[in-house]
Amino acid sequence: MFSILYPKDIPSGVINTPDDSKEVESFYTDLNIDRIIGKISECWSKDISGLYYSFPENIEVTEYRKNIFSDIKKGSLLSLLDYFVSDMEKFELFSQRKDEVENEDSKDIWHVRAAAKYAQTVMKLRDVLEDFKPGSEGIGNLKKFLEDYCVSEEFVNLSSDAEKLLKELSGFRLHISYSDNRFTVTEGEGKGKYEDLLSECFPGHDKFMKNPYLDSPEPSMLEYEAVRIFKKNHREFFDRVESFVKNYKNFAREEIILLKEQLPYYQAFLKFTDKMKQKGYFFCTPEKSDDEIIADDLYDLALVLAIEEGGKKEKIVPNDVKLAKGESFFVLTGPNQGGKTTFARSLGQLVFFSGMGLDVPALNAKAPYYKKLLTHFEVEESSNTGRGKLTEELTRLRPIMQTKEKEAFVVINELFTTAANYDANIMGKRVLDRLCGLGCHGIYVTHLGELAKANERVVSLRAEVGENEERTFRVFRGDAEDIAYANHQVQKYGLTYNQIRESMGEISK
Amino acid sequence: MNVNLLYPDREWRTEKTYYGWDWIVKDLGLRALFEMAEKGSRGSGRRKIGSAGDPDLSQIMNKVMHVPLTTEEEVLYRQEILQECFVYEGLVQSLFDLASDVLSEWNSLGRKGKSNAGNPDSKAGIMTDINIFSLFVSAMADLKALLSDNAPRLNSKGFKSLCEQVESEFDDETQKVMEGIVKDLDFYVNGSVEMIRKNEFVSNISVISVDCGIADGLKFTEPKLDSIETKRHFFRSHNGVISKINAFVAAVSPNSLTTYGDQELSEDAEAFVKEAVGYVMSVCSSRMYEYGRFFEQLYTQVGFYLGAINIRKWMKNHWITYCFPIVGKKDSLAYEGLKEIVMCEEQGKDPVGNTGNMDGKMLAIITGANQGGKSTFLRSIGIAQVMMQSGLCVPAESYTSGLYPNLFTHFTRREDSQMNSGRLDEELRRMRLIIDHLGENSLILLNESFASTTEKEGSSIMYDIVKAVGESGVRVFAVTHLLSFAQKVYEEMKDKPDSDIAFMSAERLDNGTRTFKILPHKPELTSFGLELYDEIITG
Repeated sequence: MFSILYPKDIPSGVINTPDDSKEVESFYTDLNIDRIIGKISECWSKDISGLYYSFPENIEVTEYRKNIFSDIKKGSLLSLLDYFVSDMEKFELFSQRKDEVENEDSKDIWHVRAAAKYAQTVMKLRDVLEDFKPGSEGIGNLKKFLEDYCVSEEFVNLSSDAEKLLKELSGFRLHISYSDNRFTVTEGEGKGKYEDLLSECFPGHDKFMKNPYLDSPEPSMLEYEAVRIFKKNHREFFDRVESFVKNYKNFAREEIILLKEQLPYYQAFLKFTDKMKQKGYFFCTPEKSDDEIIADDLYDLALVLAIEEGGKKEKIVPNDVKLAKGESFFVLTGPNQGGKTTFARSLGQLVFFSGMGLDVPALNAKAPYYKKLLTHFEVEESSNTGRGKLTEELTRLRPIMQTKEKEAFVVINELFTTAANYDANIMGKRVLDRLCGLGCHGIYVTHLGELAKANERVVSLRAEVGENEERTFRVFRGDAEDIAYANHQVQKYGLTYNQIRESMGEISK
Repeated sequence: MNVNLLYPDREWRTEKTYYGWDWIVKDLGLRALFEMAEKGSRGSGRRKIGSAGDPDLSQIMNKVMHVPLTTEEEVLYRQEILQECFVYEGLVQSLFDLASDVLSEWNSLGRKGKSNAGNPDSKAGIMTDINIFSLFVSAMADLKALLSDNAPRLNSKGFKSLCEQVESEFDDETQKVMEGIVKDLDFYVNGSVEMIRKNEFVSNISVISVDCGIADGLKFTEPKLDSIETKRHFFRSHNGVISKINAFVAAVSPNSLTTYGDQELSEDAEAFVKEAVGYVMSVCSSRMYEYGRFFEQLYTQVGFYLGAINIRKWMKNHWITYCFPIVGKKDSLAYEGLKEIVMCEEQGKDPVGNTGNMDGKMLAIITGANQGGKSTFLRSIGIAQVMMQSGLCVPAESYTSGLYPNLFTHFTRREDSQMNSGRLDEELRRMRLIIDHLGENSLILLNESFASTTEKEGSSIMYDIVKAVGESGVRVFAVTHLLSFAQKVYEEMKDKPDSDIAFMSAERLDNGTRTFKILPHKPELTSFGLELYDEIITG
């Protein structure tokens, strides 16, 4: 059985869900990736966030997904695949209805409907892929599977029998009249004289009479009785329905069901990025590199989502990143509220989404595939005493320090703030030396400037600050430049001669 | 179907309003004008104006005047209708009464917010809709009758088009169909049993038939309404022998089902009837909404003219000459006997009329003594301009001006201007907002702006702003005490004969008497304060 999330010879990883029963890796919350996943999931008709709570620890998986994703992005494949998932949902709904209702005739008709929907959906997917030339192993396998399955005898019979029954059913009409507490049921002709009159008098109206008994999937008493009267003249049809149900009890293939569950991994993400692109944000497909990270205009996607949600007009400040061959760790310093954490998060998000085989929030990006993403963020708990907090920090740091995985990316945000500076410097240097020595990449946000000189593989970054403590949220190697700024009441409102002339340029004389 | 009495091509909407209308109303004192529209009506007092929840005439005036007319054609369109309204006041009153009655009846039936459809899912909601629909259908019939009686003598484009529209949109055929639907659904709102004689009863019952298919799970699908009507049903004894026989007959017929004694089937029958009636009403609902919207528009639009009639009556009663203003070129402004009627209303005195011509002047700086009528003059222009831009007649012997849909007021009352940086901040903020909203055809009325700081600083701010907006083509009339500002502008223009700047001040006769007239005059360079000091202390 094949999956579009894992290649054949790799066992399907356990798909984590962010529920209480399982511990989710800390980076999901530290990097606010959980919020991004929440928003991606909102682009789908139901909660699919579980699909994203498993970071591939095998670069073959990353490669496999990346190729499938690039196939799905091609041309119109995405919108065509959308039909597949929504049609499969309808099929599931019909099957569910069958289980819900009690009336036997009603159950049987639902079963036929579900079978027909299933067959149509599978065939449509086959047709969609017919002219498509897959560039990925995953889509290629899917195509082959469908081509074989759709011509199998089992499938062909299922499809044609179901269609035939439904066609007959749709030809039946009843005429029901009601007056003075009495219903009369006869064969209908499909005509509605009053409806025609209304259409004549109200041309263009778009109202239809509805079945008043849609509240319940079960037939109402009137529907039941009406069909009972009607059935007397159509006995043979209902017999055939019964034998169809006997012949095709379990018709849906497991591969198809799994595909329906997993496809949204790509589709929802793509819908999400399309939506964001319409709002002016950008994404790119990251290139794989061996030992360097380069990104232009990288930004914190979670921050953008928070701004969008709050309806504020704040602008985000993207930053360029370059970690050259031989360099190992960024040490980022700068003022409070100056965008340090945001920058660190954006780097972590770059690593996460490229590891997932998806697109990243930047204009251009190039990064290695990492097998692990490790983070350590300060936990804000005021009840902890200084010593207790340090203990807690070190406990959480332990697994990171013990990792032997050199293909890991590490994000550390403000370690040891409660320790004395002297101690904190020494401990921070040890952390950096250990991780750099191992060959890991990462970023270390700190208020300790000395750590920027911890070892030769460390790169010093600074969050820029202008005059008057003004934050620009830009992160550079080296010092920030000064920006002149003056203030005055009239200027503040843009009411000097020049300011007014500038702002009113468009009014013609 | 449109009323179209306010615009030749559209209904009234709150759009493209004056920016900062609350300021304009306050600065020009327009509240008093709105009251005139309402008061006159109480005087004529035939009936209580305004049904519960609907605006009264003063609110209607406020609402309609909030949206300036932007073309000469639009102004002429309203003026023509208004002239006819002056002649046929009775018709205007009748139209307003009719609209007002419909709205208040509608309110009592249950009018929900702006949209009027009842909840289509409940029986009560559908019944409400039927009653409202029936109300509108008969009101349309009344309106048609009223208009066709008057049509031959109406000549304005606006009234003519209203008559034609009602006549064609609610023609006899349409009327017949609408009345027919009301009748078909009558059983749903009037279904109770009446006794006509001992043991003899009559009631309205429904006759409904539907054609439908069978879908998934044996549910009905694509139902089509084949027939629906109300029948008078006579029977001898309610729930008596006849009913029992009916039930028996139904039970033995293989194609029939009786709902007697069957709770579930009775409920299904109720849902069946409700769906059929609800469907018919849902088809009618867009028409119903259209009628409702039409009567709302009729109420507002005719209300405006009724208010205009009242304002004119007020002016007549106070011997104030009025005229229909003329739309001139953008930079024109000529007036004869222009009066400020708000002050007249509030203080009960006949204001001085001003006569002058400011054609081609894009900047007018008005200086001079306190209490000399400067602000009054500035307001009189503002008021006349707003009145003209809503199609009203104005309190002047003649008035010609361009249209300024972008009209702004920036008034600081001297009595509350103090040296106060918070106030200056507020003034600057407001000025910024005005500048942000300037567009083509802008007119700013400045009254004592920037008096809340030093004369020197105020003058410098004022000079920059006036120069910058003036160069962008904005017309500015400024009453000011900032003499450094006035003098600087005067020095710059005095040698240019065709300058587009006018200087004016309050007239003072040689013997020192004030006439409260505002005439062209170079800026007074003496301090008004000294003069006032002289008058009050020395004199």
